[in-house]
Amino acid sequence: MDKSNNHPLWMNIFRHKDDAITAVCRLWSATPLFKKIPNSYIHRLVKNMHPRFYKQGDMIFTTGDIGAGAVLIKSGEIDIKAGEKVLAKLRTGDFFGEVALVVDEPRTADAVASTDCELIFFLRPDLEEWVHNTPRQGAQLMANISRILAGRLRHANDMLAEKKEQ
Amino acid sequence: MIKISEMPLLRSLIIFFAIMSLAGLSAYLLAPLLIPIILSFALYALFDPVSNYLQRKGLTEGISAILVLLLLVVICILGVSIVFPMLAEQLILLQAKIPKLWEFLTSFSLQVKDILEGYGLKFDPNAITKPLMSTSSDWGKDAVIRLSNLLIDMTAAVILVPLFTFFLIRDYKQLRNKALDLLPNKSFELGWLIYYRVAKKLEIYIRGIIMQSGIMAIVTSIGFYIFGLDSPVLLGTIAGLLNLIPYVGPLLAMVPPIIIALGAPVFDPVLIGAAIGVIIAAQLIDNIIVVPALIANAVNLHPITVIVGIIIFGNFFGFIGMIIAIPALATSNIILTGLRNGLKKDVLT
Repeated sequence: MDKSNNHPLWMNIFRHKDDAITAVCRLWSATPLFKKIPNSYIHRLVKNMHPRFYKQGDMIFTTGDIGAGAVLIKSGEIDIKAGEKVLAKLRTGDFFGEVALVVDEPRTADAVASTDCELIFFLRPDLEEWVHNTPRQGAQLMANISRILAGRLRHANDMLAEKKEQ
Repeated sequence: MIKISEMPLLRSLIIFFAIMSLAGLSAYLLAPLLIPIILSFALYALFDPVSNYLQRKGLTEGISAILVLLLLVVICILGVSIVFPMLAEQLILLQAKIPKLWEFLTSFSLQVKDILEGYGLKFDPNAITKPLMSTSSDWGKDAVIRLSNLLIDMTAAVILVPLFTFFLIRDYKQLRNKALDLLPNKSFELGWLIYYRVAKKLEIYIRGIIMQSGIMAIVTSIGFYIFGLDSPVLLGTIAGLLNLIPYVGPLLAMVPPIIIALGAPVFDPVLIGAAIGVIIAAQLIDNIIVVPALIANAVNLHPITVIVGIIIFGNFFGFIGMIIAIPALATSNIILTGLRNGLKKDVLT
């Protein structure tokens, strides 16, 4: 049974927002983006992140949009598409669009809500403020982003090599 | 039939004018509080790094905002108790010198008249000096009243500005997030990107020009003091304030020290040269050291745009208009460019 339901009603009034933040913190801390970053720092950052709600079939972004940040799926499912082809299916706890945290480049694919979903936007201004205020953790986050992007590059190279061999 | 959604330029212009109209309406409704609000935002840009520093040291947002408020209160008390009386005293001294200045101008214009008449040219010095003298005499009579009105306004500002600044430092980011969260999903990221670019540029510009103005005030005050010009702190403060207006400000800043030099008991061309020299030297320091270090490319506007903007804003909103012309133009430029680029893409995909 969910323990949170045992709280008296008046406690829920005060707990609601904090519980939501803790839930988002838990999701972010499980991602490689926040590897080796203490929860207290993630909590401070998550307080300023931006929850948005999308209905099934809504476009989150389209190819060519200038992105403002990374997106975490708090609930629901997202399809990452190139034209009609589905490149990836993402679920609760997955994140995407992290390239926009570091560069002003256009998005390289479409993201469509395949179910109703709640997304948490982690935007570049939030990141910059946070890096400025907590430089050590900021450096760790930047190292994590570099690792993720390097992984993506390696994956793309492998795919190219496979295609060449074929 | 072509839809508006297929015409990105028209769409961005419509949204741009809607944003500008909203900003204009807000400015109109908040008119009595506009100057304290502008000053509070300027102080917010200046003191937010202090608050961030305190938060880095482990203090909460609330405590760091209170400490910044205390710092502002101390600065305001020092300003009211030390700087204002000093400026008032120097202003009264300046007022006492005005008859001497007009005496000099009258004798100088009579000399010019004699020289011109020697060449068979007609010149009526009264046509120039009389209106000027009557204006100056009115200004002289009103100076104390104006000064007391100014002090009343400043006292209101001294109370309101730290209070507004405190709430901005404590709550601005949350208010901003709530306001931007009102954007529809489709424009959410574009709205944030435009805000981010505007905020970044304005922050650098405002912080830069406040520091630049302070440095100019100090450098010119010291220069005027060294060359023995009367009321050096008042003249330096005026030069610092006028330096907030690009291109036109430095030229205007030369006028008060030249007037003071002309009002000296004995006509002293060296003093007049020194008055001009101090402003030019301060401008050199400003352009070679201060601007590259503090402002650099904070706003990329063409000089003609800047000058025309200053004249138009000055015409409508006076001195404050001349100061806000550059940030207002830079903001409009970023919003319009951001909208045009962001909406152009909608048509391509």
